[in-house]
Amino acid sequence: MTRAALEPIVGRYVRVPILGEDCRVYFEEAGQGIPLVCLHTAGADSRQFRHLLCDEAVTSHYRAIAFDLPWHGKSYPPPGWQDYEYKLTTQRYVETIRAFCAALDLDRPVVMGCSIGGRIALQLAHAHGSEFRALIGLEAADFQAPWYDTSWLHRGDVHGGEICAALVSGLVAPQSPAQHRHETLWQYMQGGPGVFKGDLYFYRVDADLRGKLSGIDTARCPMYLLTGEYDFSCTPEDTLRTAAGIPGVKVTIMREVGHFPMSENPEQFRRCILPVLDEIRGDRGGAR
Amino acid sequence: MHAADTISEAEQALCGRFQRAIPARANADPHLVWRGRSLRTDCLVQIGSTAFLLRIDAGSIRECLTRLPLLCSWAFAVRGSVEGWAALWQDPPPPGWHDLFALSKRGEMSFEGDLQPFLAHLQYFKDVLALPRQGDAR
Repeated sequence: MTRAALEPIVGRYVRVPILGEDCRVYFEEAGQGIPLVCLHTAGADSRQFRHLLCDEAVTSHYRAIAFDLPWHGKSYPPPGWQDYEYKLTTQRYVETIRAFCAALDLDRPVVMGCSIGGRIALQLAHAHGSEFRALIGLEAADFQAPWYDTSWLHRGDVHGGEICAALVSGLVAPQSPAQHRHETLWQYMQGGPGVFKGDLYFYRVDADLRGKLSGIDTARCPMYLLTGEYDFSCTPEDTLRTAAGIPGVKVTIMREVGHFPMSENPEQFRRCILPVLDEIRGDRGGAR
Repeated sequence: MHAADTISEAEQALCGRFQRAIPARANADPHLVWRGRSLRTDCLVQIGSTAFLLRIDAGSIRECLTRLPLLCSWAFAVRGSVEGWAALWQDPPPPGWHDLFALSKRGEMSFEGDLQPFLAHLQYFKDVLALPRQGDAR
C-alpha cells in the first residue's frame, strides 16, 4: 500500500472505568495540538467524524479524537449487558466523557458533540465548565418536541436497522451528497438492537434541560451552537431558544445541512466549523 | 372522494402529478420494487380531500385507484394537506417541509391505522411518495 493511500486516522482501544464498570472503549484520532473530543449522535459511532479527522486545517492545530460510546461501533457493551435493557442517562453520559478524557490524560479539551452529544455539551457547560477549554454543540438544544414513538425502534416485527435509518433519513438535507447521505444512514443500519432507542432515553426522558442551564460561564468556557436548517428534530428555533438563555453563547445556523453536518456534508460543515476552531485556539484573523 | 369541481386547482394539479408518477415510476424502478419484495398491503394516500387507494404486492403497485370501492379496507393511511404535499414535491423542498415526518411534526400530515407495514418498509414508502418530485414542474 502506498503512503498516499493511508489516511492519518489511527484507531486504538482504552480501558475506561465508568460508574464502576470496566469498559473497553474504541477511539480514533489524528493530529496534534489542543485536544478536541468529538461525540457522535444517538445510535451511531465515531465514523461520523472521519472527514474532520482527515482535515489538515483541523489536525494541524488540534488532536482530534472521536470515540465510540459503550454499546456503539467497536466499543462493546459492559460485561453483563445481556441481562438488562440499555438506557443512556445524563449521569452515565457525563461520567463516560469525563472518564474517557481522564483515561487519555487530556488537559482541558474542547468537546464537540452532535445531537445527544450537543445536549450533553450543554450539561457539561452547566455542571463542569471549568474542565473544558470550549464546548461546541452541534444540533443542540435544551429540549426538542418528539416526532415519533421510540418503541418502533426495537420490536420483533420491524427490522431495527432499517427503521432507524429510514426515520433519520429525513434529517439529512436534500442537498447532501449521496455518498455521504448513505454512509450516514449505514451507521444507523448497523447499530445493535435497542441501542438507538436506549440513547433516546437520555434525549427524550432523562435530559430535559429546560430551566436547568443556569450558571454557564462562557467567559471561562466559550460555548458555540451550530444547527443545520434542515434539522426538523433539533430545529434552528430550538437552538436559538436555548441560546437565548446562555449569555455569551455564539450561534451559527448552517445552510443546506441537516442533523448530521460532519458526516452528511463535510464540505459545508467545515466552512462553518473552521472559523469556530480558529477562534477557540486564538486565531481571530481568519487564516483561510 | 370529492367531485373534481369541488376541489381547488392546486389540489387537482397535485393529484395529477401524483398519478403521473404512481404507479408507473415506482414499478419502473426494479431496485425499489426489490426493496419492497416482502410487502403486500393496501394503503390510502390522501392529498387534501382526494384519496387514492394503493394496492401493493411484492413491491409492485398493482393498482392506484381514485374511485375507492364501497366499503374498501386499507391497512394504513398517509394523509397530507395540499400545502404539505406541494412543499414536499418542490426540488429541493424547503427546510421543515422536506420529509413525511417533518410534515407530521408541523401538523401537515398524519399516519393512521395499522402502521406496522408502513414503518417496516418506511424507506420504501418515503421513496415512493417522493416520486412526484422528479422531473415534473406541474
